[in-house]
Amino acid sequence: MITVDNEFERELARLSAAFVAQLPQQVQVLNDDLATWLSASREAELFDRLSHKVHQLKGSGSTFGCSGVSEAARVLEQRLAVLQADATSVAASDLEKIEAAMRALRGEADRTYRESLRGHQAGAQT
Amino acid sequence: MKQAALSRILYVEDDPDIRELVTMSLQALGRFQVAACDSCAAALELVDEFSPELLLLDVMMPDIDGPATLKVLRERVSAAAVPAIFITAKVDAGDMARYREMGVLDVIVKPFDPMTLSGQIQHIWQRDRSVANDHSG
Repeated sequence: MITVDNEFERELARLSAAFVAQLPQQVQVLNDDLATWLSASREAELFDRLSHKVHQLKGSGSTFGCSGVSEAARVLEQRLAVLQADATSVAASDLEKIEAAMRALRGEADRTYRESLRGHQAGAQT
Repeated sequence: MKQAALSRILYVEDDPDIRELVTMSLQALGRFQVAACDSCAAALELVDEFSPELLLLDVMMPDIDGPATLKVLRERVSAAAVPAIFITAKVDAGDMARYREMGVLDVIVKPFDPMTLSGQIQHIWQRDRSVANDHSG
C-alpha cells in the first residue's frame, strides 16, 4: 500500500539526490568567489555573500545527511569569520587556513558526490 | 496525535534546498497549507492575503534576517499577533532570551529531521495554545 510516508520518503530521496548532485558545482562557485575576493576585489559584499553561502551549506549539508560537507563548511565558516572584522589586511597564516579549509570542502563535496554515484550504480545492478 | 487547528504557515527561508525540503515536509506529513518565500519583502507581499496562523522564519538571511523580518511582519495587522518559530543552525542562551522577548515560541535547530518536523511544530504550537487557554480561562 502506498502511504503518505512512502511518498514523502521517495520525495525526500529525490531532493537529497538533487542536493548531492549539485554539490561539486555549488562548492566550485564558492571556490571561485573566494579566489576572486582573495586575488583582487576584496569587496565586502562579495565576502558577505560568500560567508552566507558557506553558512547555508553548513546547515543544508547536515539536514540532507552530508555530515562531512557540513563539517567542512563549518570549519571554512570559522576561518572566514576571522577575516570579517578586518578584511583589508589578511595575515598569510589566515589565508593558508582559509585555502586549506576550502580544499577540504571541495574534497568532501567530491567524495560525497562520488559515493552517491557509486550508490546509484550499485542500486542499478541489483 | 490529532493534527488539530493549525493550518496556515508562512515560511521564510532563503536557502532554496531547505525551503523545498521543509515545505514538502510540512505539506505532506503535517497537512499544513504553506506559503513559502525567500525574503522579508516576499513575505510582506504574501502575509495579508494568506493570513497565517504561524510564522516560521530562518534566522540567518542576507539583508533582513529572521528577527528583523518578524519585527516588520508584526507591524501588519494580519501578523501582529501571529506566533512565530525560528529555525537556525545555532542558538545560545543569550539569543534564546532575546527571541523570547520578541514573542518567539521556540527555536528549531538545524539539522532537523524532516520526518518529525511537522510534529515538532504542531507540538510547539499546541503548547502555546494550551498556555493561552489557561490564561484566558
